[in-house]
Parts: sequence; C-alpha cells; structure tokens
Amino acid sequence: MADSREPPPLFNDDDDSRKDDDNDDLFTSAVQSPVSELTTPEDQTKQEGAGDPLTSPPPATSFPPDPSGGDRPDLFESCEEPSVGGFSSVPLEQPAEGGGTQQVSTDAQDPPPTPPTTPSVGSLVEIPLIVDTDQDLQPSTSSSSSLTRPDFTLFDTTPDTSETPVSSPDILSPPTTSNTSTSTTTSAQELSASPPSSSALLDLSMTLPQELSSEPPANLVDASSVEPAVMSSFITPAEEASVLDAAAPTNDDDDDAAAAAAIPTNLAGEDPALSSEEALVTVYDSETPEDPPLPASNILPPMGAPLTPPVAPITPTATPNLTPNVTPAAPTPVTPVAAARPSAEQLESESGDEFIEISISDPQKIGDGMSSYMAYKVTTKTNIPYFRKKHWSVTRRFSDFLGLHGKLVEKHLHSGRIIPPAPEKSAIGTTKIKLGSDKSSDSSSTDFIERRRASLERYMNRTAAHPTLRSDPDFREFIELDAELPRATQTSALSSAGVLRLFNRVGETVNKMTFKMDESDQWFEEKTQQIENLDAQLRKLHAAMEGLVAYRRELATSTASFAKSAAVLSSVEEHSALSRALHQLAESTERTHTIHHAQADADFYHLSETTKDYIHLIGAVKDVFHERVKTFQTWQHSQTMLAKKREAKAKAELAGRMDKVQQAQDEVAEWEAKVERSQEEFDRISRAIKKEMEQFDIVRVKDFKDMLVKYLEALMTSQQQIIKVWETFLPEARAIS
Amino acid sequence: MNGGRESEVLHFSWLHVDRVDMLVDELKFTMDETVQMAVDDARSGRSDTVDLNDSTLQVDISDALSEREKVKFTVHTKTTLPDYNKPEFSVVRQHEEFIWLHDRFDENEDYAGYIIPPPPPRPDFDASREKLQKLGEGEGSMTKEEFNKMKQELEAEYLATFKKTVAMHEVFLTRLAQHPIFRTDHNFKVFLEYEQDLSVRTKNKKEKVEGLFRSINRSTDEILLAATQKDVDDYFEKEKGFLLEYHAAIKDSTLKADKMTQAHKSVADSYIKLSTGLSQLGTIEGPRLEKFINKVSDTFEKARKVEGRVASDEDLKLSDTLRYYVRDGSAAKDLLYRRLRCLANYEQANKNLDRARAKNKDVHAAELAQQNACERFEHMSARAKEELNSFKTRRVAAFKKNLIELAELELKHAKAQAQLLKNCLQALQEE
Repeated sequence: MADSREPPPLFNDDDDSRKDDDNDDLFTSAVQSPVSELTTPEDQTKQEGAGDPLTSPPPATSFPPDPSGGDRPDLFESCEEPSVGGFSSVPLEQPAEGGGTQQVSTDAQDPPPTPPTTPSVGSLVEIPLIVDTDQDLQPSTSSSSSLTRPDFTLFDTTPDTSETPVSSPDILSPPTTSNTSTSTTTSAQELSASPPSSSALLDLSMTLPQELSSEPPANLVDASSVEPAVMSSFITPAEEASVLDAAAPTNDDDDDAAAAAAIPTNLAGEDPALSSEEALVTVYDSETPEDPPLPASNILPPMGAPLTPPVAPITPTATPNLTPNVTPAAPTPVTPVAAARPSAEQLESESGDEFIEISISDPQKIGDGMSSYMAYKVTTKTNIPYFRKKHWSVTRRFSDFLGLHGKLVEKHLHSGRIIPPAPEKSAIGTTKIKLGSDKSSDSSSTDFIERRRASLERYMNRTAAHPTLRSDPDFREFIELDAELPRATQTSALSSAGVLRLFNRVGETVNKMTFKMDESDQWFEEKTQQIENLDAQLRKLHAAMEGLVAYRRELATSTASFAKSAAVLSSVEEHSALSRALHQLAESTERTHTIHHAQADADFYHLSETTKDYIHLIGAVKDVFHERVKTFQTWQHSQTMLAKKREAKAKAELAGRMDKVQQAQDEVAEWEAKVERSQEEFDRISRAIKKEMEQFDIVRVKDFKDMLVKYLEALMTSQQQIIKVWETFLPEARAIS
Repeated sequence: MNGGRESEVLHFSWLHVDRVDMLVDELKFTMDETVQMAVDDARSGRSDTVDLNDSTLQVDISDALSEREKVKFTVHTKTTLPDYNKPEFSVVRQHEEFIWLHDRFDENEDYAGYIIPPPPPRPDFDASREKLQKLGEGEGSMTKEEFNKMKQELEAEYLATFKKTVAMHEVFLTRLAQHPIFRTDHNFKVFLEYEQDLSVRTKNKKEKVEGLFRSINRSTDEILLAATQKDVDDYFEKEKGFLLEYHAAIKDSTLKADKMTQAHKSVADSYIKLSTGLSQLGTIEGPRLEKFINKVSDTFEKARKVEGRVASDEDLKLSDTLRYYVRDGSAAKDLLYRRLRCLANYEQANKNLDRARAKNKDVHAAELAQQNACERFEHMSARAKEELNSFKTRRVAAFKKNLIELAELELKHAKAQAQLLKNCLQALQEE
C-alpha cells in the first residue's frame, strides 16, 4: 500500500482525501471513526439472529468493506472541505468535541459534494422516519446529540433484511454512481483512482461509493417498508435484544453522534431514550444541510455533556467484573502488563474513564499435523461505549493476529502512526507444536505457547491502547466478531504474498540505505538519533536480560538437582539428626528451586519480553520515520517534475507553439497541485509523527517504570520467600545433636 | 596460549596476590575450626590416649605467597614437645611437600588403622585464569565500567580460591598436629622443622607408572576383597556399605552444589550488565527516566554484591563442607580397605597354620605368623572402630556448624536484599 503512493501519478484526490481522513481520525480520536466498523459484527449477529443465511463466511467477507466505507464518508468530506479546517486545532484538545465537529462537518459537508442527490435522499429517507418515531422524539430534537443514527440504522437494516447484495459494494456502486451523477463525482474518482493502488485501498474506496450512493437508493426503496421492523425491534422492551439492536444501528453510523448514542445502549434499559435519540438523529440529519457551520458550535456542548455522564457510571460497574484471571497456563506476571495499560491509555485517549483490557487465554491446538493451528481465546473487557458489550470473548488463530497487524499497517502506517508489531512467526516452534502429540507435556513447546500467548496479549493491549487503532474497524471486528475471520492468507511466509512482501522489504531496505534525506526539521534529526541510540541500547540491555534469564534458569535447575542429591544423601546418612537436617535441606533447596524458577519467569516476562517488545516497537517507529522520508521523496519528485514541466512550458513558449503551451500549462498546473499536495502530505505526516512520538515517549517511559517497579517487586517477593525457607530450616540445623 | 597468559599476568598484576592475611579475613575458610572442634570432641571421648592440651603442638599457615604456578606456604609451628629444637619456628613449604607428607603417612604400615587426613587439593587457579582470559578477550564489547566490575569480581573470586587453598593445607596440618599418634611422626617433625627445601621432586615417569600400577592393583584388590572377603564383624560390614553409599552420594551432592553455586555466581555477575545497561539507557532516555533508572541501576549493583555473597557463602559453607567429607570419607574407605586386607591376611595365616598343622611342618612359624596377624587385625579393628566413630562425630559436628552458618548467612543476605529492594521501591514511589 505504501508503495503505491510512491509513484507520483497515483497522487490523486482520493489519495489525499484518504490521508485527510486518517488525520482526522487521529485528532478526533477514538470516538469517531470506530463506530462505523461495528457494523460488521453487529450485522453478523443480527443476521444470525434473524436466521438469515448470512452467517456463512461470504457475508463476513463482504461486510468488512461496509464499515470502512462508513469511515470514509465523513473523513472524505471533511477533507474535501478543508475550509472547515476545524479538524486540526479544536478537536485536538477535546476528542469528544472533536468528534462532534467532525460529525457536524460531515453532515454539513455532505451536501456540497453531492448537492442534488444525497441531501434529497437523506430527506426522503428521513421523512418517513420522523413520521414514525418523532411523536415522542421531536421535542428534544434540539439536543441533537445522536442525530445521524436512524437513517443509518435504516441503511444497516436494509442490507440485512431486504437486499443482501447491498453489502457487496462492487455490484452496487456502479449503478448508483450513474444514478447520483453529480454527487458521486468524488466517489467515482475514487473508484477510478483506486484500482492502481493495492487491494485494500480498493476495498476502502469501493465502499465509499457504496455508502454514499448505495445507501440512499436502499433507503429510498426500503425506507418505509423496512423501517417499521427496525423500529419495532428498537422498542421491544426486552433489554438485551433491544440493546443489541440499538447497538447495531450505532455501529453503522460514522459519527460520534452514534458513539454518543451507543453509551446509553451500554447502560442498557434506556431504549426509549435511545429510540428517541435515533429519531432525533434523523431530524437533525435532515436539518444539517441547511446550516452547516452553526450546528458545529451549537451542538458541541450538549454533545459533550451527555457523553460524559453515562461513561462515568460505567466504569465502576465494569471494573468489579474484572477477573483478570484469564491466564490459566501462566502463573506468570503477564497480566500486570494488561492491567497497567488502562492508565497508559488514559494518557493517550485523554478521556479518563475509558479502558479496554484484552486477555488471551486457552491456547488450543486445532486439527492435526501440518495443517493444524493454534487458536486462542480473546477476551475483552471494556467500557468504551462503541463496543456493544462490556465483556466478551472470541476465538482467533495466530494468523488472524498477523492479519490484523497487516491490515492496520496498511491503513495507518502512511499517516504516521506507530503500529505495535505483532509477535513474530516462529516456524520452528510452530512446527514442533504442530507435529507434537496432543498431550505433549514437552516443556519447551508449552513454554513456547505460553510465551506466544503472553506476547499476543501484550500486542493486543498495546494496539488497544492506541485510540485510533482500537477504533479501527478491522481491530474491532477482530475482537468483536463472534465467528471465524476470513483466513488471512498473506501471513504465511510461503505464500505468494509473503514472497512479495519479502521483495518489498528488500526494496525498502535498499531505499532506506541509499536515500539520505536532508533533514530540515531539527526535531526529527534529534529524534532519529535518539531512536537509533535507544535501539542499540535496548538490544544490549535485552542481551543482558537474556543472559540473566538463562543463568537464573540454570540456577533453578541446578538447585533442583542439588535438592534431589541432598535427599539421596539424607537417606544414606546414618546419623539420624543429621539425616533429618539434610532432608530438610533438600526440601528447602527444592523450595528455593521453585522460587528461582518463578523469578526466572519474572526475569523473562517482566524484563526481557517487555524490552524485546520495545525493540520491535522501535522498529515500528523507524518504519513510520521511513514513511515520512518516502513522503518527502514524493514531494521532492513532484518538485523536480514541476520544474521540468515549467521548463518544458518555457521552451514551448519560446518556440511559440501555443498548442503545446496549453498542454504544458495544464501539466504545470497539475504538478503544481501535486507539489502542493505532497508538501501538505509531508507536513501532515511530520505533524502526525510528532504527536505519535510524544505519546510513544510518554507510554514508553511509563511502561519502563512499570516494568522496573514490577520487576523489583517480584525480586523482593522472591527474597521474602527465601527468607521464609531458611527461617524454617534454621531450627532443623540447630537440632542436629 | 602461553604467551597470552604471560601478558595477561603482566597486565593484571593482581595475579601476584601476595600476602594473605588469614586471620582477619572474614572469608576465611572455616574448615580448620570445624575440624579442630571435631577433633576435640573426638579426643574428649578417648581416655586411653595421652592427655594433651592444645599448646603441645600448634601448626598454622601464617603466610602464603603466590608466584606464577607455585604457591609458597609459610608453616608456622608453636610447640612444647621436647623433640623439637625450638618452641616456635616457621618454614616455607610448597604443595608438593604436603603431598609427600601425606604419602609418608599413607604408606606407613603403623598407621594402617587410622584414617589418614586427606591431602589438600592442588592449588588450582585455572578456572580464574580462564575467566580472566575470557574477560580480556571480551574487553572490547563492554564498557570500561563493566569491565572493571567484572575484573573486580574475578579478583575477588581468585582471592577466595587462593584463601581456600591455603586453608585446606592448613587443615591438613592441623589435623595431623592434633592427632595423638600422627603428631609424633618423624616425617611430620621434619616437615615442620627442617628449614631447607625438602627437595621433594614431583614423581618421575617411572614412579608415576609404578604409582598407577599400584593403584590399579590396589583397586582391583579392593574390588576383589569386597566381593570375596566376608567380614567377621557386622559393624564393619555395615560401615563398609554405608561408606560406599555415602561416598557416592556426597560426591554427587558436591558436584551439584558446585554447579548451583556457580550458577548463582553467574546470576550475580549478570546483574552487572543489567545495571550498566540500564544506566546507559537512562542517559539516552534523558531526564524523564534517568533518575528513576539510575536508582534501579544502583539497586541492581548492590543486589549483585549481595547475590555474589550468597554464592560465595554457599560455596564456603555448603560445597566445601561436602567436598571435605568426600575426601575424608574416601580416607575412611581406605582405612576399611586396609582392614579388610588385614583380615584377608589373617585368614590366610589361619589357613597356612591349618596346612602347617596338617603337614606338621613349620607349625611354630605358622603359629607365630597367625598370632601376629591376629593381633594385628584385632588391634586394627579396634583402632578403626574408634576412628570411624570419630569420623562420624567429626562429620556431624562439621555439618551442624556449617549448615547453621549457611542458613544464617542465607537469611542475612536475603533480608539485606529484600530491604534493599524495599528501600528502592520506596524511593521510586516517592519520585
């Protein structure tokens, strides 16, 4: 994906817009974009509930685009109207509000690009809705918090109930584009532009038109027919059902409004309010076109207000439920890492009360022989409103994790985000397990599994701690979708994608080595240097830790063997008191063995693994830096191209060939635009990286502190246990007579 | 290799660690005391021996000097025995002379009924040297600070080994000096008194081959006897079984204990790298983390020292006790072998007498031989019984003392370390 952006020609509107989106995401933080992605799991469950045939894989595959499509529109639009500009400063400080602005602007912007169709469609859709619901709702319209909801709900349900095909954007979008001629210009562009880029891009862009264009028709068609059903489902008093259903709609919304609305859902039992809100949403939606800028400011405060209160109550209730005891295989200290996360995350998300905690448990071998794989139970506990439950679990296999990482990298790396690296694939370890018998008590393979489990857990929590990443549709699908994910084929080292990736990587490395960028930004210069130093030092430290772990393990085993030997000696010893004392000695050393062993695990999981994670994270940071260099290269390239074109134009002018001048003029203009765009892009990624790094530094310092404190505590506990051991032994030694 | 070692020796002049003050040093090997104590215990239970007080013959090693491969021990003697010319004197002895002395005792038929104190092990600094070599090779890969710390550790280790070697030699002499029979031995007197070099050369090839041959002979004889000779005395039969088993078990334990202490030492050493690695990381991270990390790094540095002490104390109190009783046990085994040999001789004499009587020829000579053998055997059995009992008392006392000390030291160190960590955590929290 990243590569696709290197060649200048690819620099199209869509590209730009895409970046804009991402940037917006970044700023508006968790609340905003995530919502959209929920669609998938939601829909899935719904469909399942409805007994639709959709439960089968195909829908799963076809749906993912949907959510991402959900993402698109607002972002897209926001980028289209940079004049709204707000995306930068205001939202930065207050994510919630930022979300608000975002939403508003989206709605507001909707019209400009798609003047004739979308608004009209929107209104068309909404009118019936209002009719249905607004009896109770209308009064509160002004509050407006979750306005967008209903119509999206409609969209949502429409695909399920009426026409499954909707979900496959490819089919739908073309016709719709033709329908909504003007409006889809952008989307059409996107469509046309996207093919050259990678498949993922394709997906994204494809969904865009779908959302933009397909929805309206769907609504048009089904609005009236579907809606009652939907509404009824909302109104059903049965809380669970309604919550579920209510949650479902929210997901489909692209906007914070939805997120806001989702909070109540989480609280459960507020269906009436909910539905009313939904209705409000519709109303609001239809209104927005009329006065785009105003709502932004108007709506924000109310949005913020209702948002926070619901969140607060959730935390206390949620926390007691937390039995972070999901790691049966490991008495190891991995959970602390997860526990530490929420606080770190607070720093990040700036929305104090949110937490998400993911634990991986029950590694299970599925299948036999080389085709077998390990599956893990992924349990999530959260109070973040856009998740439909507070506590649930799904089953994922290892390659799913890698797939998730791949997707996240594809989507977010280019916008300067540091993406926590997934655990490495280990062909040897895996093969061993695959070939091993089911009940292999082989310690090395159980060690391997436990290590992998722990690192997956750390990986998930690191990703979840990032407000943007955790709200990514793919991430949410990953943790929420209660079904098998489509197989991530690209993760296998032997697949064609693997080979391709290898080539790419080689290319990148060459590029990294050959291209030296004149750093104009002192911050980056220093940071790059610091990162390099840090990398080297961490590696050194990691080696020292590995040494420690190895020695401590050795100590543990040698202590155990001494214990055994001392037991033999005690049985041989003829002097009874001495024999007893030796026996005690054997027991004491046996216990110290256990202590050393636990301590070695602590050495490993607290120190060594965390440090290793950071070495990999530093790698991710380097990737991001490199991404910036690539953007810089693109910019430089555009500049040289522009210079060339200008030259050509000057030549043409000198030669007096007016026809060519015109063409050259066009080209110059085109490249000027490109230069501008790439420069903007470069500035943006630089800015984004700075912000990311700030976060990274904070989290890293905190992580390190946590790590060391935890480790010292573990050491202290060990020593205290050793004290106990010898205290019990001492009288025995004294008793020798 | 040799050249390398040469330069390395020059480079680290500490290898010529010279004078070791045995008395002040707290790392002092405690075996001597133990043995002394045990010997005292044993003696008090023995009424038939001459009444002795401690001052009759006191031997210690007042000084030791390490020169390259050789260690020179200054053996200091204080005595009231009339045989000696002076009441107090010192001589310089080398390891080989100790071995010579041991062999004289070992070969003396008169002492066959006694457990001959095991000879001190050869001074062996190879392990230290090897480590030093490794350290020198790896110098480039670590920081100066790290290197110095590692060097210090090695120096300490070397010093400890050195002291232990000296102590072992001292223990050997002390045990001889306190033994009512051994102390009067002529060779012992020469060893203590003769001011010149005893000109004990290391065995030449022929002697070595002979020695080897003899020992093979002996061990086959031992095995044969063990298999064929039926002991008349249940006590010895039992003791033999016990000692065999015990020797094997304690040897194994020693091996394991050594491994354990070594691993412990490695753990302690690996804290060095951790500590310096952390403090460097602190420098890179800058103010946000530097202070914090430096505290942790300091703690690791201190913890390393404690951990190192744990290792060396385990070595002193546990491994060395075990090790000594491996050797003492083997000396006791030798005693049993000698007795069994004696028994075999006695029975042979009986048979000879029977045969002589049957033939009615040389009866008197045979009778005399038989009587001699009988007396000899009985005397030896009585001695051996005594010796074995004293071996047991000695062993139990030594184990008791050292195990108590071990537990106390372990407790002390663990408490110190726990406190250290606690303080560190507190300091970190306050930040």
